Amino acid sequence: MKIIVTIKQVPEANKVAVNPETGTLIREGVESILNPFCEYALDMAVKLKIQNPDLNVEIIVISMGPPQAKYALIRCLELGADKAYLLSDRAFSGSDVWATALTLKEGILKKIGNFDLILAGKQAIDGDTAQVPAELAENLGIPHIYYGFDIKIDKKKINVKKETEKGYKVIEVRLPALVTISKGPSTIRRLPSMKDMIEARKKPLEIINAKSLNMDENKIGLNGSFTQVVKIFSPPTKKAGEIIDGNDSINAAEKLFMFLKEKLIV
Amino acid sequence: MLDNCTLCGSCINVCRYNALSIERAMIPLEDLKKFEGIIIWGELENKSGQLQFKKVVYELLGKALELNKELNEQISVAVLGPPGISALIDELFYYGTDIVYLCEHELLEDFSNDGYTTVFTSLIIDKKPSIVLYGATIKGRELAPRIAARLNLGLTADCTGLSINKQKQLVQTRPAFGGNIMASILSPYTRPQMATVRPNTFSKVKSKQSKKGIIEKISVKLEKQSIRTKIIEEISSKTESINIEDADILISVGRGIGSKENIKLVHELAQELKGTVSSSRALVELGWTKHPIQVGQSGKTISPKLYIALGISGAIQHLVGMQTSDIIIAINSDPEAPIFKVADFGIIGDLFEIIPQFLKLCRKNKESSL
Amino acid sequence: MKNVSSNIFNSEKIAIKISFNDIRSIHGKTKILTDYPTYLMDESKLNGTADWLFFPKSEAEIVSILEFLQKNKIRTYVSAARTGIVGACVPNSGSVLSTEKMNKIFGFGFDKNKNYYFIRVEPGITLNEINDKLIKKELDNIPELTPDAIKNFKEIKDPFHYPVDPTEMSATIGGTVATNASGARTLKYGPTRQWIKGLRVLLSSGDILDIQRGECFASKEGSFIINKSNGGKLQFKIPNFIFNTSVKNAAGIYSKPNMDLIDLFIGSEGILGIITQIDIWIIEKNPLISNVLFFNSEEDSISFVELIRNNRIISPEFIEFFSYEALNLMKNVQNKDPGSINMPQIPIDAKSAIFFDVPYSEEKIDIIFSKINKITKKCNTSLSNSWSGYENREITRLKHFRQALPENVNAIIATRKQQFPQIHKLGTDICIPEKYFRNMMEYYHTVVRNANLDYVIFGHIGENHVHVNILPKNMEELRLGEEIYEKFAKKAVEYGGSISAEHGIGKIKTDYLKIMYSQKDLDEMRLIKKSLDPLLVLNYGNIFNFDVETE
Repeated sequence: MKIIVTIKQVPEANKVAVNPETGTLIREGVESILNPFCEYALDMAVKLKIQNPDLNVEIIVISMGPPQAKYALIRCLELGADKAYLLSDRAFSGSDVWATALTLKEGILKKIGNFDLILAGKQAIDGDTAQVPAELAENLGIPHIYYGFDIKIDKKKINVKKETEKGYKVIEVRLPALVTISKGPSTIRRLPSMKDMIEARKKPLEIINAKSLNMDENKIGLNGSFTQVVKIFSPPTKKAGEIIDGNDSINAAEKLFMFLKEKLIV
Repeated sequence: MLDNCTLCGSCINVCRYNALSIERAMIPLEDLKKFEGIIIWGELENKSGQLQFKKVVYELLGKALELNKELNEQISVAVLGPPGISALIDELFYYGTDIVYLCEHELLEDFSNDGYTTVFTSLIIDKKPSIVLYGATIKGRELAPRIAARLNLGLTADCTGLSINKQKQLVQTRPAFGGNIMASILSPYTRPQMATVRPNTFSKVKSKQSKKGIIEKISVKLEKQSIRTKIIEEISSKTESINIEDADILISVGRGIGSKENIKLVHELAQELKGTVSSSRALVELGWTKHPIQVGQSGKTISPKLYIALGISGAIQHLVGMQTSDIIIAINSDPEAPIFKVADFGIIGDLFEIIPQFLKLCRKNKESSL
Repeated sequence: MKNVSSNIFNSEKIAIKISFNDIRSIHGKTKILTDYPTYLMDESKLNGTADWLFFPKSEAEIVSILEFLQKNKIRTYVSAARTGIVGACVPNSGSVLSTEKMNKIFGFGFDKNKNYYFIRVEPGITLNEINDKLIKKELDNIPELTPDAIKNFKEIKDPFHYPVDPTEMSATIGGTVATNASGARTLKYGPTRQWIKGLRVLLSSGDILDIQRGECFASKEGSFIINKSNGGKLQFKIPNFIFNTSVKNAAGIYSKPNMDLIDLFIGSEGILGIITQIDIWIIEKNPLISNVLFFNSEEDSISFVELIRNNRIISPEFIEFFSYEALNLMKNVQNKDPGSINMPQIPIDAKSAIFFDVPYSEEKIDIIFSKINKITKKCNTSLSNSWSGYENREITRLKHFRQALPENVNAIIATRKQQFPQIHKLGTDICIPEKYFRNMMEYYHTVVRNANLDYVIFGHIGENHVHVNILPKNMEELRLGEEIYEKFAKKAVEYGGSISAEHGIGKIKTDYLKIMYSQKDLDEMRLIKKSLDPLLVLNYGNIFNFDVETE
């Protein structure tokens, strides 16, 4: 059984800042990491592999990104993926949801071929769009289920437990299908051993450019994107309010009380 | 410089001098003009056995009315659901809807990507709207991209701002790079222009209109085998049903709380102020609180009347999720905490000293007012 | 006023005077006890008392405070982050002078003699804040102390940091200079002392010593002469003993022939002067890969340390040890709540563990790990019996695992305290020369096991410096533990080690100092204190007391 996990490399959360004067991103000291939700998706694949030894599961990770995104793929190989593909080319730059989904589809069909299940993170922590997996599923003509947190394989079917606003649902779907994963199968993230580190670097990792996918130039990157960024700017923050020193806790509590009283809350 | 390039392409897009450019074929403008009007997805929810429209539908209507001042076209709502839902529709007219497209079918009783995509797609093909808006709810986030892919359309997810420019295009603004910058996005080449909008981003129309619009019943063609997913069971868990998006008062807790046990103090305060407890991402990651009550970029966007941030430093991802709250109060021991930049009232100090004192005051005040 | 290279040093006077009334202060024993109780203790949980609490914002404000204190014969205790664990900043009486508001960066420069960049900071800035600024290269509006220093610095791609890592990075730089803090990374970078380029020290007389390293050395006879700003002269002799630097050592005042004046103040626990400004050298931050490797016996783990410690290929930045008892304690915590330490299950059969950092680069990881692999085989374990991570968040996660041990020890003590309030943990801070380390480990285990007490051993095995923590269950065990503690201290001195490798002496280890130093040594240290702070205003009671006979 082939399980594909689509992943993305993202800047480590909380750290990217904008220089207020120039409006450019301050990248110093910001590390790129494997998107945490993608890691959950990979963990789910590893769990399915361990739980279903008879299915002979092969886990293949695929990503579209700059050359350095290879490190996110190496990370996946450390965490248990068997093989990795990176779709990387300057021609892919500026891809929006549509172009990304299309490129991933071509990568999957031309490099991996048949598959049984695609797992993806529920969203990337940098973009938060959560739109690529559904478009990819539509492009591949397979059904998709969002926000899964548990999967049971039953021959050619899977049962997916998915989050809903009120609780959860169990949904059955025939394979092949795509599921996005919202939280990890275990509460504790795994930690590779030093042996996994060495092994990962021996596993196959192929970097694929636009040419070898043989895609129409007008369908990739900025050319293939239907949306266009016209302006970037710092988010507005509102004017600072009254800030007091709380070393004197009684006094501070009184001031807080008065403030809320003024606003008719207490 | 190039080492840091993530090939996001935003440099090409924003370069004023066309120094960086990629040529692309333009679609004739006349063709785009054939598309007219705004369709909003009228997402339904089941609240204690009663079907009703989600709050975000009214928020989208409010925004659509505003956009329509520039466009002067029609505002319609697409309502997909089981037969017998027409009674709910009047409410939509009060909030400014001109036309309701009513798509009733047994197979639309439960939401499914396949069923809803099929029906909504044919509606879009038939009606040729210029703009389609969805709430960025759990279902909206699944449905919109599926439709976009089927119709080869651009889609902008999680918008926090929508406006119409001089060319009558929809300017879609959303946070990018984890909320550290905002990006304004156009879909110049495809129609309709599609966007999802986070709940609580726009306010719903203040005054109802006494207006009667048109209901257009759409004949729905849907077959059972075209829906590839099957719901086996559905469980509502009580603890996870707290919806912080609906709360007027939120007491939010962050890493500064120190330990899981200390969250008790926050619940005490919430009880006193009749508020709901929410949390920062840090605590969810530590497993001290649950994801449904997480505020911020990867959690929920909320806009309560009062937001009290306790021991939350206020990473930008958190701020984008709560900065539209009416009143923000922050208590944090770190004077440099970014949360103070958005706070209306801030206390630099130890919350374990201040909150108990505050609770004492509240209780004293209650006694004296009895 | 340029100081030439001799044993004579010219002091300065403060330029602008600030009125004492303009300085933020809190007055009153009860008020401080109720509203500012945290200022009366540190992480040792030793409790003190004070009548005054000062929050100076500048050196000039401290000068005014000192004037007031001298006039009214009030003692003062300098404190800031209060992360120390020997009670050095805990006031016995008098006042607390918190430098926490003095947390600015004053300048940035390039030291062409050493070929290092340096940063000039106030004492109240935390190590976290310094490193955060350096990693992000956020140095806007900071004066350049040498031409184009910041511009050139920003052009370097690599992140920089201040490499001393005393585990608690919320400590302030001032506190770490006063204690010559070391920590895990001392293996590679040495203690704080090696990173201090310059210091401004305020004597209790109000004289300011603006010392750059390499300017002023003790004479052959061991004396220093300070020309005071009012024209007077201050002459004193350094002690005759040579401060033991063959092991990690933070016990007593530094002394060695021809020593640099700056070194007298580093590690002197605030008894000689108040530090108001510090120049620290900084270096490139190496990307690291953190590893925890489990072993089947303690002997195997010690052998592993011996084999990697000086290996040029592996080049570890730090090496930490967890004993069987320590791992068991963590396993118990894990069994109760698997999420609490956010780590995979500790292997059930692990008898000890070594936590170590090695340089990380994609090119070298294979070479380094193959080398480690060979060594693990000799030590009866394998690379699969380990955890490994190199992303920032993974490194932080592993570091938290290391910190979780002492935190959980403290938690156990806290519950036992409910029954016996006087109970506290007994934590050693002993460093031993390498050749006696195995003997000492055996001695630790035998003595504590014979007494049948709860204990764990962990810490900086790379420098033969592990912490034995004894956890008494009742008052009798506490008494027994104290006896054992003294036995350990005596044994350590016998082996040529230090009884306080990094925590300092403060107020709670003064008795053990007497094991390491003779009466004469102690008297010579006291004499320096009396020369520089005749009224004994500064941090009285740290390192040693003044008994009736010596006064």
